[in-house]
Amino acid sequence: MNYITTYCHIALNNCYVNGKLTHSFNSNSIDDFTKEFYKSLILEYPKFHKMDRLAKTAFLGTEVLKKECPEILNYKDDEIAILFSNNNSSALTDVNFQTSYQNGGVPSPSLFVYTLPNILIGEIAIRNKWYGENMFTVAEHFDAEYFVNYCNVLLHKNAAAALCGWLTIDDNKIEAFLFFVTKKDFNELNLPLESKQLIELYTKN
Amino acid sequence: MITYIGLENIISPLGITAEENFNQIKQGNTSINYHRGIGFGHENIFLSKLKNTPSFYELLSQCLQAVIKGTEDELILSKDTIVIISTTKADIKENITTPIIAAIKKLTKEFQLQQQPIVISNACISGVLAMNTANNFIKAGIYKNAFVIGADVVSDFVLYGFQSLYAISDKPCQPFDKNRTGISLGEGAGGVFMSSDKNVFKSTCFEFVEGTSSNDANHISGPSRTGEGLVRTVNNSLALAQLKPSAIDFISAHGTGTSFNDEMEAIAFSRLGMNTIPLNSLKGYFGHTLGAAGLIETAICLQSLRNNLLIKTLGFEEDGASEKINITTRNITTEVTTILKTASGFGGCNASAIIRKLK
Amino acid sequence: MEALKTKLKQQIIEQLNLEDFSVADIKDDMPLFGEGLGLDSIDALELIVLLENNYNIKLTNPEEGKSVFNSVNSMAEYIVKNRP
Repeated sequence: MNYITTYCHIALNNCYVNGKLTHSFNSNSIDDFTKEFYKSLILEYPKFHKMDRLAKTAFLGTEVLKKECPEILNYKDDEIAILFSNNNSSALTDVNFQTSYQNGGVPSPSLFVYTLPNILIGEIAIRNKWYGENMFTVAEHFDAEYFVNYCNVLLHKNAAAALCGWLTIDDNKIEAFLFFVTKKDFNELNLPLESKQLIELYTKN
Repeated sequence: MITYIGLENIISPLGITAEENFNQIKQGNTSINYHRGIGFGHENIFLSKLKNTPSFYELLSQCLQAVIKGTEDELILSKDTIVIISTTKADIKENITTPIIAAIKKLTKEFQLQQQPIVISNACISGVLAMNTANNFIKAGIYKNAFVIGADVVSDFVLYGFQSLYAISDKPCQPFDKNRTGISLGEGAGGVFMSSDKNVFKSTCFEFVEGTSSNDANHISGPSRTGEGLVRTVNNSLALAQLKPSAIDFISAHGTGTSFNDEMEAIAFSRLGMNTIPLNSLKGYFGHTLGAAGLIETAICLQSLRNNLLIKTLGFEEDGASEKINITTRNITTEVTTILKTASGFGGCNASAIIRKLK
Repeated sequence: MEALKTKLKQQIIEQLNLEDFSVADIKDDMPLFGEGLGLDSIDALELIVLLENNYNIKLTNPEEGKSVFNSVNSMAEYIVKNRP
């Protein structure tokens, strides 16, 4: 039996961890919100500012989960699988990259590099020095069954834990649901990794 | 329990079946051509393009249809069957705000799929990851069959992007070569069928032994200087397959033709003690087909197994890496049993897969 | 020249997303790719874009970039010399 040890929801100006409001802001824009959120975590990681909105959101969610479940740091460097998913790949950055060259400017390499959704996984791996399994998928809706099945498969194979996330990032939207799956129920939330349970947590908030 | 793999198909400028493509590259023919004025600054660019400029959806659908022909008709309609798709930019030309979902919904409807397809968009390792995922699901008994299809098309978006990174070669790409200057883009589709049942294949199939992925945890667009992720994934795949490096007869590497990637792979294969195993890159024939690469190149691996013929690395002439590896400089007729396929991509991702002939 | 250097510093901060830095933090002769700013290979390519978008100067060989982008001083000198 695998467990959802910790989970968080991020939406504009708010962050909930394990169902409780942990961070609240008064920012006027999504970009200001992610900046304020980053500052509040006192991370001293200037690379953050180069990330696109998708990567920033996944990054912040991961930092918040790490705080809530410090046991994450006891795993070996290749034991944590990273599985993220969304509905629109890197669409927001894709549009920004296209704009960089369509109106008299020159294609921006720093934008192009983020026109692949799996880059956010790279950012998390770099930050934490995690060398394990990694995969980004695109689905129309949050696919709880996929996460349950694939986490179970990987935790039975060559992973001891999994960091998972479903993101909804757009020009005027920021929503994220991240969760950490482990074999041991560290926070004793008693949330078994099952589709029904996962959907319930996802639709909360 | 064994995961079987076969029914490989390729759609590229070199042909619409795996056999056609294999015959073309066997003769040293490439699909990379000179295209005038298509660069961002109207530069002339070498790349591989299909004459009739199919859309991503057309490539996906055509390839899936071809693979289905090699099994029983009803398999695609089964609840025990999953379709796994591999792509980096999908329909970016037609629909930049939702390039993937619209195509997948269409595919689900056209083929009356009973399960939501899984779409993997993980840079250039997507194809190998897709096969790994299929294998993992099949071995866990979650699905019995998987149609694994990868496709990508050449677009201004991607070309201009690679130009902004100065990663486009000024000649047809030269994997591992001393004078390599970058990639040549390509487009197409590749597909395979994987199943827990050998009997549903209408032609000889092989064993998909194991596959894993690993991240470099180093840089988002440059590969690790020590090839850390690639070393780890190959070691993990070998360990899970209970094989030593010496069990590998041939390596189908990534070999894009960029200075950094090819150097990284040479270092990684050297660290793995695989310096003497014959190795090639196919990108000199197809160009870098991104989301289709892992599958097109694996399809050629299966053809190599069928024909006991290893293909020369087109574009390679002189060693250009700090570690010496055994790059094929001509086609080699030899008994081949076990092949290692690797891929690396932006985001520091790496994946490997081991495929071998059935006993 | 001073006005150009100040403008250049502002553009560098904006183009490379150097949120934690101000114009005063970037000294004229400070190695841009040293410890201070922590710039990497993508930043180097983005500086090439900066030259083209803001000054209409096209650097065709990224290798040239190593000397051009050494510091704000070398960048300013290059701009003054090559501005169309």
